[in-house]
Amino acid sequence: MKMDLVSGYKGVVGLVFGNENSSSNEDSYIERLLDRISNGKLAEDRRNAITELQLVVSESNSAQLAFGAMGFPVMLGVLKEERDDIEMVRGALETLVTALTPISHVKGSSNEVQPALMNSDLLSREAESISLLISLLSEDDFYVRYYTLQLLTALLTNFPQRLQEAILTIPRGITRLMDMLMDREVIRNEALLLLTHLIHEAEEIQKIVVFEGAFEKIFSIIKEEGGSDGGVVVQDCLELLNNLLRNNGSNQILLRETIGLDSLISILKLRGSNFTQQKTINLLSALETIKLLIMGGSETDPGKDLNRQANKTTLVQKKVLDYLLMLGVENQWAPVAVRCEAMRCIGDLIAGDSKNLDALGRKFLGEEPQVEPALNSILRIILRTSSMQEFVAADYVFKSFCEKNADGQSMLASTLIPQPYPMNRAPLEEDVNMSFGSMLLHGLTWGETDGDLEICSRAASVLSHVLKDNLQCKERVLQIEIEAPVPSLGGPEPLMHRMVKYLALASSMKSKDGKSGASRNSYVEAIILKLLVTWLADCPNAVHCFLDARPHLTYLLELVSSSSATVCIRGLAAVVLGECVIYNKSSESGKDAFAIVDAVSQKVGLSSYFLKFDEMQKSLIFINAGSTLTRKAFTRSSAASMADIQDEDENDLSEQGNLDHPILSSILNSYFVNLVTRLEADIRDQIVEVYSHPKINVAVVPAELEQKTNESDSDYVKRLKAFVEKQCSEIQNLLVRNATLAEDLAKTGGGQNSQSEQRVSGGSDRIQLETLRRDLQESSQRIEILKAEKAKVESEAIMYRNLAGKIESDLRSLSDAYNSLEQSNIQLEKEMKALKSGGSSTFPDVEAIRAEAREEAQKESEGELNDLLVCLGQEQSKVDRLSARLLELGEDVDKLLEGIGDDTGAAGDAEDEDTD
Amino acid sequence: MSYAYLFKYIIIGDTGVGKSCLLLQFTDKRFQPVHDLTIGVEFGARMITIDNKPIKLQIWDTAGQESFRSITRSYYRGAAGALLVYDITRRETFNHLASWLEDARQHANANMTIMLIGNKCDLAHRRAVSTEEGEQFAKEHGLIFMEASAKTAQNVEEAFIKTAASIYKKIQDGVFDVSNESYGIKVGYGGIPGPSGGRDGSSSQSGACCS
Ligand SMILES: Nc1nc2c(ncn2[C@@H]2O[C@H](COP(=O)(O)OP(=O)(O)O)[C@@H](O)[C@H]2O)c(=O)[nH]1
Ligand SMILES: [Mg+2]
Repeated sequence: MKMDLVSGYKGVVGLVFGNENSSSNEDSYIERLLDRISNGKLAEDRRNAITELQLVVSESNSAQLAFGAMGFPVMLGVLKEERDDIEMVRGALETLVTALTPISHVKGSSNEVQPALMNSDLLSREAESISLLISLLSEDDFYVRYYTLQLLTALLTNFPQRLQEAILTIPRGITRLMDMLMDREVIRNEALLLLTHLIHEAEEIQKIVVFEGAFEKIFSIIKEEGGSDGGVVVQDCLELLNNLLRNNGSNQILLRETIGLDSLISILKLRGSNFTQQKTINLLSALETIKLLIMGGSETDPGKDLNRQANKTTLVQKKVLDYLLMLGVENQWAPVAVRCEAMRCIGDLIAGDSKNLDALGRKFLGEEPQVEPALNSILRIILRTSSMQEFVAADYVFKSFCEKNADGQSMLASTLIPQPYPMNRAPLEEDVNMSFGSMLLHGLTWGETDGDLEICSRAASVLSHVLKDNLQCKERVLQIEIEAPVPSLGGPEPLMHRMVKYLALASSMKSKDGKSGASRNSYVEAIILKLLVTWLADCPNAVHCFLDARPHLTYLLELVSSSSATVCIRGLAAVVLGECVIYNKSSESGKDAFAIVDAVSQKVGLSSYFLKFDEMQKSLIFINAGSTLTRKAFTRSSAASMADIQDEDENDLSEQGNLDHPILSSILNSYFVNLVTRLEADIRDQIVEVYSHPKINVAVVPAELEQKTNESDSDYVKRLKAFVEKQCSEIQNLLVRNATLAEDLAKTGGGQNSQSEQRVSGGSDRIQLETLRRDLQESSQRIEILKAEKAKVESEAIMYRNLAGKIESDLRSLSDAYNSLEQSNIQLEKEMKALKSGGSSTFPDVEAIRAEAREEAQKESEGELNDLLVCLGQEQSKVDRLSARLLELGEDVDKLLEGIGDDTGAAGDAEDEDTD
Repeated sequence: MSYAYLFKYIIIGDTGVGKSCLLLQFTDKRFQPVHDLTIGVEFGARMITIDNKPIKLQIWDTAGQESFRSITRSYYRGAAGALLVYDITRRETFNHLASWLEDARQHANANMTIMLIGNKCDLAHRRAVSTEEGEQFAKEHGLIFMEASAKTAQNVEEAFIKTAASIYKKIQDGVFDVSNESYGIKVGYGGIPGPSGGRDGSSSQSGACCS
């Protein structure tokens, strides 16, 4: 078996280097060294040979290949049988490590043979070799263990599954590897890397490693190294830890139930304010561990939810919130990436967990006398941070806090009390003693002075969390009135009206700014619109308040069809309009549902209105937001880049052009997307409903149409006339609406071919359709051309066939002629012989003459025959080529040519009918 | 989380004998009639008290199928106790005990305590293995024996605790070098760090809770 492998391998070596000679020098050198190692008598000479061998192998790819072809049995032999000679064992291991290490200066063309990889392949094929290597881990010599670990790691990187399987079958294999974690530092660090590879995507091995006490060992190393202040070893430990916990419910339970989470949580504890990059990465890794615990076990695990719940509860019991708040909120030196991750963890911990929600709600930060609720501090981050990432992370805390938490929402909303004017103008820095509500209101109206609406929109995002699904809070906030910035500009107005004003301001600024500010303001608009959508949902009073100012409706109608607004803005505006229909309880004319539908139908057109929904649903942001956010896994390779996120996010904004702001996909979360989708269906239903039951202004009561007793004729006529007039005007109104609807219908249904298609199918569909149609056209054209070609070729074939037939018959007559010529020759010869036998001397020249004549005749006929053959050959090759072409075109050539070889010269004519 | 000792257990035996149910009954005090087939190994943990000492049990429930043997074997050597389970209503699961035992003897440490459990004793009407046979087998092979039911919880606590008591006694008797964790025993706070500590007989009367 082994021999086969090696000889096959030699073949490869030969192949790679073209011929065997080019590298034969190297080959034979290595062969000699190997021979010295296995057959040498002097220990010293053998040691020298192995040192030399290692050197040669480290020098070139070809040497690595050559070694791979011959060296393994010799090296493994040393490892197996010469354990006493530590120097030989070291040498053999070092040589093997060298043979498995890619030589780096090779230009990285991927299709080149990689000798290191091939050698890994060879060495890992035999489970026996792996077992031999594992046994070497028990050797006392440091270098032996060190090289062995390196070898195993190299094999694991290249052939993980093979190694995993092999190691599983080795008794105490994993135990031996685990023991290395308690070895000297260098060995221990090597073992950490090896184990990380070993457990990669192998759930059962992960469990065995934990059974062998991995958690205890990992935490003891982390502690020894100084926790988050430690070096890259701490990072390696945490990566191993994370790989043991990721999607592994069983290991999570073990950690929680028997080791406890204290050791983990204490890594988050900060000592000192110095954040090196390594420390940042260590902290991010530990936060990743928290996140993995919050996510629970694998999707298929039936106990997943229970486990996740228990993890969350235990984490909070162990005061993880305090550490997270310190990292994410309080500490001023923590890098943005750490702050964001910590806040996301807070959000994940509290989401849907009433106990944890309360725990966060009760947290206070700061020192006396400057203590304030943690939520206030987080709100301040939202209003102040210059990092978009940080805003999104902090916003996520509020989203998680408010979702399905009516009490929490009420608590926050109860503090929304407008402050007297001067307080309202206080600079943001003086807000330490402000209530949550004052700070939020302050933020909401911040743009008043400098026209920067960004802070306003961030506050609006928080407010929409506070209002979501909570009628009480919505009603309460409706009562809030804001004073005009300058008293002379009029009295106070509802907060909602102020928000609409900012919305209008944002869109007008955008059209002024042109392209550069477009994307920035588009998220301001979107967030304010989101607030309105959330607010109006299920809340007739909010709808009433919104419609209270006539210009609101007009503005919204314009926004829906504005060409400068993004798809998302138009769609959200359409949703707000729809809410004004479905949650409209007003009977005031001009503000009731009927009036809104009329206005939409007249100003926008119903079908064009509904198109806005479709477009929004199809837009990328909605698709992204709808899918559950799968965050990038945090691994060693991604660690550095994660730690580096400062505010790169703001930089790509300029490239986004007219598209929606990328931040929107975080703000328009799946919850909101679902709300919008649900609303859309209701809006459609309601609008149909409104139109199918028009409100009748003039009630027709049959009894009233009769002349009343005592009513004079003229009175009766007057009364009837008035009635008819009223009806007439109502009919007029209905006619107008009818006309609008008909027009809309005509627009959609009329131009069946072009327009309706455009409307129904979105842009991308249309383009695809177009391409398909063009493809189809091209294909059918090509088929036509091919058909014509085929016909031409066919007719040519027939022509040539006829020609061939003719030539053949010519040839036949010619050969007939030749035959008869020869016949007569023979005849003559015979006669000649007869004559000769009669008197040979008499006609001495006859023989010569006759030979001459025959030669001449033969030459002549042969020449002619040759010409003919050449000619025939040419024709034949033509026929061949044409046949091939016919074959390509799918013609049955054999059938076509049938009979050509036949003797009947006229066969061609007879077959004409068959071929068609 | 503080314990005097931590013991590692494994549960072995044919598929379907009720290993996972026994673990669930012990850790969560409930019975789940339809339990998913165990793939690989599942973990459970519980704290018990023996001789007034808190003892943490880490229990690994293994898959009975042959295809998982190389995985489950990895747990043998590091375990202090094993529950070897058969189903009293299925004779073949009793017949397979010898091969399980052989596996254990081959891969486990020699001092591993093995508890033989005849499970599903609530199904007396379908009994296929008599109690005496179970007792006899245990006696022959030096095992502790109990019949139990994961469904009614009868003897479940007792089985786990009796096993622990036996291990505890071995520690008291100085059978283990407890500083070597490869026996599946870890000393925590208040445990005796080495075999030298208190070998007075008073502590061995612990697991008196057994039936
Ligand atoms: N009546 C009864 N059924 C049991 C008992 N223990 C387990 N079962 C049933 O036996 C089946 C197999 O149990 P399970 O724990 O999955 O067996 P495992 O393969 O050994 O883990 C399940 O249908 C259980 O409901 C028991 O004590 N009494
Ligand atoms: Mg099971």
